[in-house]
Amino acid sequence: MPVGESRYMEPLQLAGRLIMENGGETYRVEETITRMGRAFGLEHVESFAVPSGLFVSYRRADGDTETAVMRVHKGSTNLSRVDAVNAVSRQVERGDLTCEEALQRLQAIERRPPALTKPMQVLGAAVSAAGFTLMFGGGAMHATVAAGVAALVQGIGQLLEKYRMHALVSTLLGSLLSTLLPMAFQRMTGLGMVDAIVAGALMPLLPGLAMTNAVQDAMRGDMISGLSHGLSAILTATLVAGGALMASAVMNLTGGALP
Amino acid sequence: MIAGLIRSLVGGFFGTIGFALLLHAPKKAWLPASAIGGVSFALYWFLLRIGWGEAAAIFTAALGGSLWAQWCARRMRMIATIFITLSIVSLVPGLGLYHCMEYLGAGRSAAGLQAGVNAMIDVLMIALGVGVGSSVFRMLAGRPRPAKAPPQGDDRG
Repeated sequence: MPVGESRYMEPLQLAGRLIMENGGETYRVEETITRMGRAFGLEHVESFAVPSGLFVSYRRADGDTETAVMRVHKGSTNLSRVDAVNAVSRQVERGDLTCEEALQRLQAIERRPPALTKPMQVLGAAVSAAGFTLMFGGGAMHATVAAGVAALVQGIGQLLEKYRMHALVSTLLGSLLSTLLPMAFQRMTGLGMVDAIVAGALMPLLPGLAMTNAVQDAMRGDMISGLSHGLSAILTATLVAGGALMASAVMNLTGGALP
Repeated sequence: MIAGLIRSLVGGFFGTIGFALLLHAPKKAWLPASAIGGVSFALYWFLLRIGWGEAAAIFTAALGGSLWAQWCARRMRMIATIFITLSIVSLVPGLGLYHCMEYLGAGRSAAGLQAGVNAMIDVLMIALGVGVGSSVFRMLAGRPRPAKAPPQGDDRG
């Protein structure tokens, strides 16, 4: 355990890292670190967050400035964790938690397993795809097919993650299956609305939300985060497009273009 | 019209609740956030049907969703990110992006680019709606007051 004023660095960095790794915005990371630091009684607390790293500094009582840099690796989005870190930050601001207590709470949040199990995630993908297929004009049958495809894709994604396969491979394969299976279903049954099924099944993979967040970052003046998130969204969109195009090519090779 | 509105509302609701599971949103946010998602998309759909332009309709729906999301976050003492993220999930142009890829893959470059540009305009309008909604809400409601008692449980805010 660090001694003296150095002990403040660990909870500040951990709070920032947890927010960033679990899908929080960079402005929230900076604001949380600054507020917690001030609540600990530190002066000149500064933080700078970019999607891949975090810088924290504050002035010590002896006049020296303590600075630390931390590399952040983006994990999957977990809004419950971001909310829990925010709750700790508020308690620190109210004076309900000391530095050590805050660190313990943050470490407990880090150790806490995801609130939802993997089967619940599969269910989430299925419900989401079914809902969006209905929203795009599909019927009950189309929604059921989209739910099945999205559940399968989510399950395969979890399997690939278990074997440490890169997320990009999972996106490409997910896009291929999300397009190929509805097209095959349409060819076998003759039921229309293939675009509603494909769009519904692809929604969990599409970077529409990431693109929107990138634009919001840029509008907030956070250009580095905006560009970083924007490029990441473009890369994901390219992979989704690649998978969808491969599916179209497979269908064309195995019996001509779709009606 | 009514059937379409109900379909939009129900589809948007379930689409959003699925995303709430995927993004590990706190349980007590699932229903209100999904209601916002469903109503936002139904509002967008309705505005298009009564003759509004695409950009104006999606901006208004995002603005309304953003205001409601921030009000919910304030009331439930949770971070606004949860509600805002989920409120715009139903509006993001998934079908537009898919059509962009589909047309480009089929060699219909002009149609593909047109679909891509339309999707990007939608994304910009959503971001603008959320940004304006946040500013308006802060102006009307001011800064949140600190909670009197320490919050409890996983979903505290």
